[in-house]
Amino acid sequence: MKKILLAAGVIAIISIVVFIPGKRWARAHVNYKTATDDHPLKCTDCHAYISKSPLISRLVNRDYFSPVNVTVSGDGKLLFVTAQDADELIVADSEKGEIIKKISVGNKPYGVIIDKAGKKAYVSNQWSDNVSVIDLDNLKVTDTLATGNGPAGMSFSSDEKHLYVVNSYSSDLTVIDLEEGVEKKRLSTGSNPTNIQLSPDGNELYVTARRAAIVPYGEPMATELTVINDNSKRIKTYLSVESAYLMENVAFTPSGDLALVTLIRPKNLIPTLQVERGWMMNHGFGVIEQKGDGRIIQLLIDEPQAYYSDPFDIVITPDGRRAFISSSGVNLITVIDIDSVRQLISESTPEMLSLWSNHLGVSSRYVVKRIPTGANPKGLALSPDGKLLYVAEHLEDRIGVISTESLEMVNTINLGKSHRVTVLRHGRKLLNNAGRTFQNQYSCYTCHPDEHEDGLVYNMASKDMGRNVTNTQSLRDIGDTPPFKWNGKNQTVYKQDGMRFSTVLTRTEQFPYKDLDAITAYIMRGISYPPNLLYNPDGKLTEAQKRGKKIFERTTDNFGNIITENNRCVTCHPAPYYTNLLPADVSTLAASDDSILFDTPHLNNIYASPPYLHDGRANTLEEIWTLYGKDDRHGLAGDMTKIDLNDLVEYLKSLRGPAYEINESKIQRASIRK
Amino acid sequence: MKKIIKSQYFKITLLAVVILGAVSMGFILKDKYHDNTRHGAVRTSSDAFDRPEIPGLPAPDDLTKDVPVFGNWKNFTTKDGLPSDKCFCVRIDGDKVYVGTHDGLAVYENGKWRTYTTKDGLSHNGVVSVDVNEITGDVWIGTLGGLTKWSGGKFEVFNQFNSGMPNDLVYMVICDGRDVWCATGGGAGHYDTFTKEWEIFTEANAPMHEPWTYGVSAGDGKVFIAAWGGGVIEYNTKTKKFRDYTDPDGFMEIDLQPDDGVVHDITTATSWADGILWVSTYFGMSRYDGKYWKGYFDHDSGLASNFINFLRAEGPVAYVCSDNGLSSTNGTNWVTYKKNDNDANGVAIVTTGGVKKEIPLSPSIAHNFIIGVDAEDDVLWVATSKGVSRGEKIKY
Repeated sequence: MKKILLAAGVIAIISIVVFIPGKRWARAHVNYKTATDDHPLKCTDCHAYISKSPLISRLVNRDYFSPVNVTVSGDGKLLFVTAQDADELIVADSEKGEIIKKISVGNKPYGVIIDKAGKKAYVSNQWSDNVSVIDLDNLKVTDTLATGNGPAGMSFSSDEKHLYVVNSYSSDLTVIDLEEGVEKKRLSTGSNPTNIQLSPDGNELYVTARRAAIVPYGEPMATELTVINDNSKRIKTYLSVESAYLMENVAFTPSGDLALVTLIRPKNLIPTLQVERGWMMNHGFGVIEQKGDGRIIQLLIDEPQAYYSDPFDIVITPDGRRAFISSSGVNLITVIDIDSVRQLISESTPEMLSLWSNHLGVSSRYVVKRIPTGANPKGLALSPDGKLLYVAEHLEDRIGVISTESLEMVNTINLGKSHRVTVLRHGRKLLNNAGRTFQNQYSCYTCHPDEHEDGLVYNMASKDMGRNVTNTQSLRDIGDTPPFKWNGKNQTVYKQDGMRFSTVLTRTEQFPYKDLDAITAYIMRGISYPPNLLYNPDGKLTEAQKRGKKIFERTTDNFGNIITENNRCVTCHPAPYYTNLLPADVSTLAASDDSILFDTPHLNNIYASPPYLHDGRANTLEEIWTLYGKDDRHGLAGDMTKIDLNDLVEYLKSLRGPAYEINESKIQRASIRK
Repeated sequence: MKKIIKSQYFKITLLAVVILGAVSMGFILKDKYHDNTRHGAVRTSSDAFDRPEIPGLPAPDDLTKDVPVFGNWKNFTTKDGLPSDKCFCVRIDGDKVYVGTHDGLAVYENGKWRTYTTKDGLSHNGVVSVDVNEITGDVWIGTLGGLTKWSGGKFEVFNQFNSGMPNDLVYMVICDGRDVWCATGGGAGHYDTFTKEWEIFTEANAPMHEPWTYGVSAGDGKVFIAAWGGGVIEYNTKTKKFRDYTDPDGFMEIDLQPDDGVVHDITTATSWADGILWVSTYFGMSRYDGKYWKGYFDHDSGLASNFINFLRAEGPVAYVCSDNGLSSTNGTNWVTYKKNDNDANGVAIVTTGGVKKEIPLSPSIAHNFIIGVDAEDDVLWVATSKGVSRGEKIKY
C-alpha cells in the first residue's frame, strides 16, 4: 500500500511538475499564435486542421462537389451541374430530383452549355485548359478541345458552328471551329474574364471581366466589357465600366434592349474606415442600353444598412420582366423588376443616374424580393418556360429550386456527398460570406476572389489616412509563409484574422474563436494555386526560362564580379515558396510609407498577381527593375541586357504553387489530367 | 631596285594597285552584262538591258500583265485632313487605310480622315509602321516611342520598360498568325500573343552585325530580318535556327560580283511573297528565289534609285520606295513613277522586255521621296514626304 501511495505521489508530483509549466508553455504558445490571451487551449483546434499529414487530413476532411454552374436541357427535364471540386459534370433529373449520372471531366470544371439539338454538352475545365465534349445520348466524354488558360464561360456562335470559350487566366477568348475541333483564333478581352453571352439578335457577344485595368493609385478605376462581332469574330469594342469591377456574369433581355451585368463598386481610394459609412464596397448591376449611345448605367442592389455582397450570376425570365441575381456573399437571390429599372432610367436625368450608381435608397424601386438559399449561391439557370429557377449552391452541395411565380424555394436537389461540414468547409463558407462584416458589406471573397487577390491597392487606415497604401495579396497556399501583411507584423493567420481584422477591416465583432479557427484552417491548408499551365505546363522549363533560372540563382554578375549574398534573387526568394520569410529593404519605400521593412513576398504563380510591389506601383514584372529597381537594391540588375531581363521574367512567370515544387511529378500530372 | 621593292611605300602602292585592279575587273565584268545608262534618260527599244538569263525570273513580256500600272492619282495632305505631310507608312485594311505620319496615325474611311495621337493612347506620334492581323483584326502600330496594339478602339502600349520589347524605336511591325514581329533599334522582337512572351534577337544570340534592325517580314515558316550591316537574317520558326545572307563581296560602295547574293549589308527592308524574298538596301535591291540571287540597280534596271527606303511585295510584284520615285517590278518588267520637279504631274516609266515607254500622269504621286507603300486589288497607296497618294490600276 505504501508503495502504491508512494508511486501515486511520485506520479502526482511529476504531473504537477510537468503540467504546470506545460500548461504555461501551451498558454504562451497559444497566446503568441493567436495574439490573444483567452483562446481556448485545445490543441486539435489548430494542429488537427492545419496538419499537412495525409492521414490526419483524410480523417478530418471530406470531399465535396462544390457546384458552380448549372444549365437546363431544352426540354427542361435534365440539369447539368459542374461540380468544381469533384471534377465532374453531374446530370440530374429536374423533376424527380435524382442524380442520373456523374461524368468525370477535366480539372475544376466551370461552365456547361448544351447545343440546340440537345445532342452535345460542352464543359470548360478551368484547371485543365480544355473543354470536354459530352455526347448526351450515352452521357460520355467523346472529345476534348484545347483552349487558352483557365477556360470559364462559353457561348455558341449564332449558327452554332463555332464555340467561344472565355479564358479567365490568360484574359482572352478562344474561338473554336466545332467541325474541325480546333482553335481558330484568340481575341484579347478585359482582364480576368469569366462569362460570355450572345445577344438575342445573334449579332454580338458580351464578355465580362473581373479585374480592372491597372491604373496608378489615385486614378479612378474601370473594368472592360468586351464586345465581339459574331459575324466577323473580331472585337468590336471595349466598353469601359467606370468605378466597377468583378463583373462576373451578363444577361440580355429577350427583346435585346438591355444587357445587365453584375458588378461591384469598390471605394479603394478612400480609407477603409468608410466601411462604417456604407462606402467601402457596393454591389449592383450595370445596365447597358443597346440602342442610342449605348449608355452604361449602374444601379445598386444594396439598401441602407444592408448590403448584398458578391453578386455572381444573373438570368432574365423569358418574358423579360424579372432578373435574378445570386448574391453569393449573403446566401440570397435578389429579384429585380426590369420594367421598374426601365422606368427609373427613363425618368432620370444623367445627373440623377450618376447619383443612383452610389445611392443605397434607390434599390427599393426595383428589388422585388430576396430569396434565401443554401451557402454561397453561384450559377443560375431558368427552366425553358421560366417558371423554375435553379441555383447552384456552391458550398451547400445542392441545387436549389425556386418558383419564379411564388418567389419561394420549392425544392432542393442534394448532389449526394457528405453532409458533414468539416472545419475546413466551415472556414471556406466563412471566407465566402459577408456575415462577419459591418452590415454584410463584403466578404473575404470580395477582395480575394477565388481566394486570390483583386488587383487593387487599398488604404487600410490602420494608423494614418492616406498613408501605407498596399496592394492586395493572394491567399493561396500562404499557410507556411509567416509572417503576414506587407510589413510582416502579423506572425500568424490567427492574428491577421482576429481582433485586428475586425478593427481595421470588417468593422464589427471579431470572429468567435470557433469561426476563427475554421477560417484560419481553411486559409492555411485549404487553398491551392491553380496549375501554371500558361507558363509551366509540364515542369520543363523553356530555354529562356532555363537561362532566367541561372540569372535568378547567379552568384556573379555579367562581368564576373561576386554579387553580395543579400543582393541575389535566390537569397530572399528560395523555393518552394520563393520567400525566406524575412523582412527586407529593397529600396521601394514610398514617401507615404512608414519607415519599415517589407515582408519578403512569395513568388508562386507570380505571373497572375499584377500589379507588383507593396503599393502596386509596378504594372508588370519588367517594371520592377526597368523603372523601380535602378539602384540595384532589389537584386543586382544593372548589368543585365534586355535579353537577360526577359529571361529572368520568363523564369519568374514559370514559378508554380509550392505543391508542384515539393511534390513535382505526382501533382503535375494531376494538374493536366484530361 | 631591291631597296625600292623592299620599301614600305612600294608594298603599299602595290597593294593599292592590286585592289584597284580587282575593283576595275568587277566593273569590267559588270559592264559585260549591264547597261551604263542612268535613270532619267528616255529610252528606245535599242536600250534594252542585255542581261543574262537567271533561272526562275519571269520572261520579258510585251505586256506588263504582272506589273500593273497605276494612274488617276489622288494626293492627300494636311489640307485634306492628314495630321502631317510627312507620311512614313501606309497599310490597307479592307475599307480602311492606315497612314503613319510624323504627327500621329491617320485613318482613311468613307472618304474622311481621322487622326489618332498620344492623347488617344498611341505610344508616340511618330508612326513609322502599321500592320493588321488578318485573323483578329487587331492593328499593330510601330512608333518612334514604342509599339501600340489597337484593338476594338483600345490602345495598348508596349515599350522597353513595361514589357519584353527590345527597344522603343520600332521601325517595322508585322503580324504573322499569332505572332507579332518588330524590327527595332535594339534588335528584332518576337511577341507570342497567346503566351504573352517576348523574345529578343540581337548580335548576342543571332548572326547580326549589331542590334539595329530596320525591317522584318515573314512567310512560309520563316522570318526575314533586315539587319543594319548584317544583311538579311533568316529565322526558321520551327527549328528556331538562324541563317544569314550577307553581301559576299563585302564591299560598301560597289557590288563587285553581280547576282552573288544580297547587294549590300546595310539592308532597309525585306518582303516575302510567292516564295520570293525581296531585299532593299541603300545601295540597290535584291531578289532571291531560294536558289538564285539577282541584284538590281538604277543603272541596270528600271529601278528609280539605289537609295531604297522600303519595299513591299504583293504576289509577284515588289513595290520599291526610293528617294527618287516609286518602282514596281516582277523581277523583269518595271514600272517606275516619278513626279516632275516643277509641277504636280509626272510619268510612269514602263520597261517591258527591255523597251521603255513613258506614260504621262496628271497628277502624279505627291513626291518622289517615298517611304511606304501598300497595294491591294486595283489600288496602290504611297506614303511620301509630302503627303500620301492613292492610285488606281489603269490600262494603257
